[in-house]
Amino acid sequence: MEKELNAYLGKLEKYLKPVAVSERIDIINEIKSEMQELQGNGMSAEEIIERLGDPKKLAKAYLGDILVKKRGFSLNRFLIACAFFSVVGFSGMIVIPTLAVIAPVFVVCGAICPVIGAVKFLDRILGLGLPYMENVGIFMGASVPINPAAEFLLILFVGVLLFAAGVGAWKLLLFYCRKVSGTAKKLSA
Amino acid sequence: MNIDDWKSQIKRGTLEFCILLLIKQKSSYGYEIISILDKYPIIAAKENTIYPLLRRLLKEEYIFSFWREGTEGLPPRKYYSLTEKGEEYIAEMSVEWENLMNAINDIRGE
Repeated sequence: MEKELNAYLGKLEKYLKPVAVSERIDIINEIKSEMQELQGNGMSAEEIIERLGDPKKLAKAYLGDILVKKRGFSLNRFLIACAFFSVVGFSGMIVIPTLAVIAPVFVVCGAICPVIGAVKFLDRILGLGLPYMENVGIFMGASVPINPAAEFLLILFVGVLLFAAGVGAWKLLLFYCRKVSGTAKKLSA
Repeated sequence: MNIDDWKSQIKRGTLEFCILLLIKQKSSYGYEIISILDKYPIIAAKENTIYPLLRRLLKEEYIFSFWREGTEGLPPRKYYSLTEKGEEYIAEMSVEWENLMNAINDIRGE
């Protein structure tokens, strides 16, 4: 064998490092066999090398097949998945229960506010003296009594705020879950 | 779409079938297969296509290989032969090929 051809096979072997040794030797022998075949047909070493092309490219053609096969596992993907599920696991322990409690409670409170506010309003205007009404209302420090109508409006306003916060928490929860499952799907794809 | 793109897609889809048909006729070695395919431009392919493809067919057990010592100045050659699984695969491919040909002829109105 001529020097150039041996050098070509040496390079090919180097680029085929990821392939198992026995397989690599077999590949090299097969290419060597074709080289000898071509030499027998009267081709020069230069022509043979030109025909076979860049050894790196030839090796890649073999590797491409092997890499596609081994795609199932890669350390990198595994680490990314670990990091992702750690973050999700920890954040999920706080985020999901918090939002899941806040959402319905706030919504219910927001809905009850105007009802109780109305009762208090009537109680004050008509002087009904209903029990527990001293616990309902807007308390502005000291004992500054505010106008009953203004108090009712403030209660309504607080009710709307609570309701909005509840709905917001619910939407946030849905968004969080969707985002997490979307990313998880991408990771396992 | 460019005609060369289309041709390379056809080649990609049929090369496996052609190689298996060649090997079915008689046990062949890599260079022999490349030389025969070279006569038909539509399926002609280089070493960096054929050898990895043969290796894949080997792994999927459609073919098996064996080395034959060189005699009278000939180099040792690695021959490929069809396995039983390969025979079945070719039979299935032939049916599908018939279906494709019939479909095209039908649509063409011939």
